[in-house]
Amino acid sequence: MELFGTWQPNIRGKLFYNWPLGSCEESLRFENTEQLGTEPYDVVIVGAGVIGCGLAYKLSLYQLKVLLVDRLHDVGEGTSKANSALIHSGYDAEPGTLESELLYEAEIEWPDLASRLKIPIDPIGGIMMAVNREQENQLSSAEKNAHANRATNVHVLSAKEIRELEPNASKNVLGGLLVPGESVGDPFITSIAYAEVALTNGVDILLGTNISNVEIDRTSAAPIHHIISSDNHRIATRRIVNAAGLGGRHFADRYGGSKFDINPRRGQFALLDKSARSLIQHILLPVPTAHTKGVLVSPTIFGNVIVGPTAEDLPLDDPAATHTTTEGISKVMEGGSKLVKGLNKQPIITTYSGARCACKQGSYVIRYNDGGKGIVTLTGVRSTGLTASVSLASHLINGLSKEVGLELSPDKAAVNARPKSAWPGWWNRPFEGESSSAREDHGCMACYCESISIGEIVDSMNSPLRPRTMDSLKRRTRALMGRCQGFDCQVQIAEIISDRTGIEISKITKNGPGSELVASNQAEGLK
Amino acid sequence: MSHKEHFKVAIIGGGPAGIGVAVGLAKHGINSVVLIERRKQLGGTPLDYRKKAGSVPTFIEWTRARMVFGEELAQRMIQRLTSTNTNIKLCTHVTKVYPLEKKLSLLSPKGLQEITADAIVLAAGAREQTSSEKGWLAGTRTARTGFTRHITSWLDRHNLLPTRKPLIVGSDLIAYSAAAKLRAAGSHEPVMINQRQRPIANLFERLFFRRWTSPNWKGGVAAINLSGDSTMINANSEDKSNCDCSGDAIIFSGNLVPNTELALMAGMAVESPSRRLKISHGQSLNTPGWFAAGNVLGGFHGAQWCYFNGKRLAKKLKQYLTKNATV
Repeated sequence: MELFGTWQPNIRGKLFYNWPLGSCEESLRFENTEQLGTEPYDVVIVGAGVIGCGLAYKLSLYQLKVLLVDRLHDVGEGTSKANSALIHSGYDAEPGTLESELLYEAEIEWPDLASRLKIPIDPIGGIMMAVNREQENQLSSAEKNAHANRATNVHVLSAKEIRELEPNASKNVLGGLLVPGESVGDPFITSIAYAEVALTNGVDILLGTNISNVEIDRTSAAPIHHIISSDNHRIATRRIVNAAGLGGRHFADRYGGSKFDINPRRGQFALLDKSARSLIQHILLPVPTAHTKGVLVSPTIFGNVIVGPTAEDLPLDDPAATHTTTEGISKVMEGGSKLVKGLNKQPIITTYSGARCACKQGSYVIRYNDGGKGIVTLTGVRSTGLTASVSLASHLINGLSKEVGLELSPDKAAVNARPKSAWPGWWNRPFEGESSSAREDHGCMACYCESISIGEIVDSMNSPLRPRTMDSLKRRTRALMGRCQGFDCQVQIAEIISDRTGIEISKITKNGPGSELVASNQAEGLK
Repeated sequence: MSHKEHFKVAIIGGGPAGIGVAVGLAKHGINSVVLIERRKQLGGTPLDYRKKAGSVPTFIEWTRARMVFGEELAQRMIQRLTSTNTNIKLCTHVTKVYPLEKKLSLLSPKGLQEITADAIVLAAGAREQTSSEKGWLAGTRTARTGFTRHITSWLDRHNLLPTRKPLIVGSDLIAYSAAAKLRAAGSHEPVMINQRQRPIANLFERLFFRRWTSPNWKGGVAAINLSGDSTMINANSEDKSNCDCSGDAIIFSGNLVPNTELALMAGMAVESPSRRLKISHGQSLNTPGWFAAGNVLGGFHGAQWCYFNGKRLAKKLKQYLTKNATV
């Protein structure tokens, strides 16, 4: 098997983590801005969620000096990791809006993107299900709306047709809408794949660094601004893209961006065991309301089933935005049971909660030269962000060139793919199929629930972003994600990280400094 | 794929129950037995409870009427196994199950392999119930969320105290042993949070651990909301139990869930959501030629019980094999 190691020498970008000493290898540690070079950046992207990573990826195809910076210790750590993981076809967007346009373009781009960047997706299609008369009456207008969005393959189904496609559809289902264009994807790998290609092509990535201030240059014709981290590093740049999601409001205040109001709209999900997968064949969607798309029941690319989300508007900065509640989870299970019978008997493996960035000024709000020349504010990216990340990047690059004078000349040396070895092991099993050069440690399991080997974890640690936390390895390999939730493998994986990097085992973290797995150093009572 | 091996009996799981089956089969003169273990060593859960000065012996050795360290029990069982000629496959993971053919696909560092057997025994043990399976805890997911298994690994393998102020969810013997081990290693007195009014562990069991711990009992809790950051976890209930406590780690202890994944994968009958095997009679599963032993049968049993349960099953296996050989 072609290993990640073979991909290393071609990486042109620099990668740094702002960790305390001892929490990562010295070569990855960010100490001063000189490590990033002295030239100002052409573009600094603040926020390494799926949108920021997507933009970094597409910018990396041009001859530009780009920096992607995030306060967390992996890419895609926020809302990008906690959502329904659907690749939407945009059939239900409002026709004529930017969202509709972006989703239309994204649908065309995704299949090729997924195969080049090795992002697992499965085009299983969706069915919108009406469970009462009122909803049934909405179906034909939903169909018309879909056709207006150029999703011409969408059509109304009778209750009988639904039962043929979905034998476990609940008794309440009166009719529905077939949406063949909907797919399920891997939300984690999407951000990671973008960032890995960007890094390979020379984008610098700085993680664990909170940008707390901006110095705007308002005097020169070709201004050079500075972003300043909370630990006082100053980084020079000609342009700034605010892709900080829910952190974007406070950041915009620092550069005097114009007014917008955002708040987290919490979405709680229940993840069901793989035994539930045989209950459903498609992504099952409820008929949406003005406020939310409602509680859906969907297979995941990993072979589980998710049920959710809720839609609860919380105040900005509420730490509960990513909390779950027992009421919320019982509400989604109740909602899911309206669509599928036997659902509430299935064991819940885990629950999670993601916060959509709800913006009063609309969705996909983009402002160029906002508060300063060359500063771009992007906000209001909600449920469709994962899907639209690819087309939004092209849209933004177009805008950057028109509105803020970014010169685009293609980089002939840029790669636009990840190697075959980048497929995650759970998708492309090391010991099966064509990849016959598996090593011994690919046959030695670390995670039994998901059958993830020690070799896959080691390969992942060698991948371009050098993941060193439990959560970052979990998202890449699926170890720790099974039904036992780390019962068997948690300590073993910490041991693997420690063994391979020399990081002391007591310094291994869940998701960055302050989240060490053990509280103290020595057990004084033991000899 | 290498050549297919055939055995009279294949045992999945090299813990006390699986070892018991293998030892029992040898006693009954049945050779051609394979014992499949996914970890690097035999011994199962007891092996993780190392013998250490200052630590707490938490396993009951009924035959000698005393408390011992799990490791001691495991070693004695393994010793009895070495005098048999059981074929032992370590670091070997069952990836596919063909219930009717009684065929297993195995993955080990050597690669993929298939084996068949006249009878297959599930002795896969059990694990501790997760937070989501309990269903009455919500809020944040904190860094220090763990199981008793993690406590023993940190303490006994690494000499690290994983928590100074533990919150323990659980109240059976396993939960009390976790509390005792933490106290002995230098933690504060643990808080025990439970939906039950009274602990599952009986008075005798609690009295035994009294020497090390008398946990701060918070029972009768309807639902818990967890908040805080990675280093400080607050557990609050909004019901009349008024549970309001904080710690630096939350440990989910006991309430074992049987490891019935392989049976589920093979399409054999497993109850949902309890994950208990549906047993046709005794220790036979409702697919012919399939049996179960130890904690995979459900409930919580000590290591010696599992070992003797395995040994008892060996007798039934012999009857089954003789009957099927004559047909």
